[in-house]
Parts: sequence; structure tokens; C-alpha cells
Amino acid sequence: MEMDDLYRLLRNAHLQAQGVLDTLRDPFVVLDGTLCVLSASKAFYETFEVGRDETVGQSLYSLGNGQWNVPELRALLETVIPRSVAVTDYEVRTDFPDIGERTMLVSARRLVHPDSNNRVILLSIVDATKRRRKEAEQDLVIGELRHRMKNMLAVVSSLARQTRTEGRSGEDYREDFLGRLDALLRANGFATGPGGTAPLSELIAATLEPYGMVPDRIELAGGPEVTLAQDQVVPVSLTLHELATNAVKYGALSTSEGHLQIGWRVEPQGAGPDLLRLTWRESGGPRPAPTPAGFGTRLIDFATQRDLGGSVERSHTQDGLTVEITFPL
Amino acid sequence: MRTGPPQDAPLSGLTVLVVEDEFLIAMNLASMLELCGARVIGPAATAVEALRLLETARPDAALLDVHLKGGLVTPVVEALRDRHIPYALTTAYSPSDLATLGVLADAPIVGKITHERDLVLVLTRATGS
Repeated sequence: MEMDDLYRLLRNAHLQAQGVLDTLRDPFVVLDGTLCVLSASKAFYETFEVGRDETVGQSLYSLGNGQWNVPELRALLETVIPRSVAVTDYEVRTDFPDIGERTMLVSARRLVHPDSNNRVILLSIVDATKRRRKEAEQDLVIGELRHRMKNMLAVVSSLARQTRTEGRSGEDYREDFLGRLDALLRANGFATGPGGTAPLSELIAATLEPYGMVPDRIELAGGPEVTLAQDQVVPVSLTLHELATNAVKYGALSTSEGHLQIGWRVEPQGAGPDLLRLTWRESGGPRPAPTPAGFGTRLIDFATQRDLGGSVERSHTQDGLTVEITFPL
Repeated sequence: MRTGPPQDAPLSGLTVLVVEDEFLIAMNLASMLELCGARVIGPAATAVEALRLLETARPDAALLDVHLKGGLVTPVVEALRDRHIPYALTTAYSPSDLATLGVLADAPIVGKITHERDLVLVLTRATGS
């Protein structure tokens, strides 16, 4: 074989090897027996933001102002590698001057050239920083979900325990409880949806949907479009549900002539947040008798006063019940 | 009209501060406590509100949720410790979730209470009565 041919063959083999290296997605570096870099992959240069000229021929420990001179990595290369042929996913955490703190999974393989007895170490370095961060975030999300689920069940059990049983049949109790649960689930659909907020008109429509939005019986007089914050969705929805179920049982919606109108206004107040004034006006039904303060009434009071930081005013007129709920947006 | 609890109710004579931001759970805790004969302070939905209540009231014990509107319940726990008032955390978090949260890490956890029996047990244990 001519010298030229041999050179070409070696050169082609080298180019081929470098080509193989460069197609690897993760940084890869080949070291000689003294831990000097023989070659490195494109991904290595890109990930650690170093150039080829300042890398090849240098000791790994001196690269990039000694950023690879890390105790864990020294232990791997000087203690573990000489005693084993291959190591997989050895975790090295270090703070790189240019790219910041990183978690690396280093896999290494020791090769001995059969003819020359030269040692070569292949190092594959996976930057697991993002993966680790993602795993930590996922753990957090899973923990939060688990917590929310337990909380939700505590809310449901609160509804079950507080729904009245005295003087009620099992069927009555079930209907009351499931009505509240349904309102809670509908509200939760908004609160856990994108953004967690709810347009007031949509929340009213969703809450009253089980009662049939008969156009000539229930009138959504509406108001300016208002978006409720996440923590306002459930108390507003449950309040509306209690008013609606009351109207169906005793109020305007208990007869075929009754009528319900729901409207709202937004009132700016100086420095503070705007006030929402929601008016629930029943008419044409039986003359309402003030009902004893049951769970529904307590729920409305607690939700509007304590949870929404607002107020509720009820007036029983000849024409029917009017409830005005005011709270800061 | 609902009549008050009998004099021999299990928590009769006890005053309990309730701190819970989920209003349905807060209502339920308050109503259970009252049925058991206790007097309820609150329920407070925020740490600020709870601290304000503690300025004028001296409860025998407190039931605290951990995550409140506007932050953790930690300042309330510190105030209760200063006043030697026993408390328990009514939270769905487990001890390992709270391990890194300072004073909250050592607090007794009773979980979300759903039964009067548990409520009576927790409070009699906390107050040593």
C-alpha cells in the first residue's frame, strides 16, 4: 500500500469516527490514558460553550479554567474507572462558570487497544439538569394534586354533613345534597379550567342550567361582562344554587306564573376594587314567607360575607323575594 | 329554633379558634364544634384575620389549616406558641410535606376532620382535658 492510500484510509476513518461522534445528541469526549482530550463531539462544544482548539490535547481537568476539576468526576476517573470496564449514569453536580449549575450523568467505558496497549476512555455526558428540574416540578404538581383531591373530598363531606336531615326523607336529603354537589362540580369546572376564572354570565348560566333556562321564566338581564377570580367562583356559584333551589321549592319558580330576573352592575369605588352588585329578583310567585335559617341561608351568608368579603340583603315584598349581593371584584 | 347543645356536650366550656380558608370546610368545622358544645372564634380565612382575633380573644385551643389565602399559617402558629395555646393542623398535607416549613414541621397534624368523634379526640388530647 502506498503511503498516500494509507493516509487517505486513516483520514477517512478519522473523519468517519468524528462524524459518528458529531451525530450523538449528548456530549461525548474521548480521553487518553492521561486524561487528555483526544477528541470531542459537536454536542460537547455546544453544551459547554467551548471551542475545539482550546479543548483537544488539553487535560480534562484544565478545560475551561478547571470547571471539570470536580471531586466526584475525579473519583470516577481515577478510582472507579480503572477498576471497572464501564460505568453508567454516574451523577456529577457542578457549577460551571459560563452555563451555571448543572447535573450531569456521566457514563464511561475504558478501552484498551489490542496492539499498542494504549488506554482510551470514552465519556458520554448527559445534561440531566432540565430532566431533574422537570422531575422535581412533576413531583410538586403531583403532590399538589393529591392535596387538592383530599381537600375536595373534605369539602364534599362538609356538604354532606351540613345538608339538613331533620324531618326529611332519604330521597329529599339525596336531592338536596346532589344538587349542591352538582353546583360545586360545575363551579369547579371553571375554577380548575384555563386561568381558573369564570365570566359571570357563563357561571350563572351553568349554575341555573339544571333548572332549565326557560326564556320567559328566567331572565338574564345581565350587565357588563365581569370575570370572577378563581376563589370567587365557588362561593358565587353555590350562593346562586341555593337561591335557585329555594325559588323552585318555595319561591317564584314553584308556580307556573312566577318569574326570575338576574342582573348586575359594577360600581367603581375610589381607590379600592370595583364593587359587583348582583340582583336576584323573583316576581309573580307565592307571597314568600321568611324561611327559617337553614344550611342554605347560612351558606349564602357565610359565602357572601366571610368568603367574598361582601354583604347580602334580602327583602320580601308582596311581589316576591329580592336578594342583593354585593362584593368587591 | 335549634336548641343549644346539652351541658354535658363533650367540648362544653371549650373555646376554639378555627383558621380555614375553604369556606364550606370552615362552616362545617364551626357547626361541628358548636354541636359538641364548644364556642368558636372565627373561622378566620387568613393569618392576618386570625392574628387580629388573637389580640382580644384567648382560646383554649386552635384548629389550623396550613395554606391560607395569602400565605402559610406560620405566623399564627408562632403567636399560639408564644401564648402557650395548644393547636393542631387540620390539613391534607402529610408530615413529610411540611418537613421543611419551620415551626410547622413539629406541629401535630390531624388531617381534614370529617367526623365529630375525631374532633373531640383531637381537642381533648390537645388541651389535656
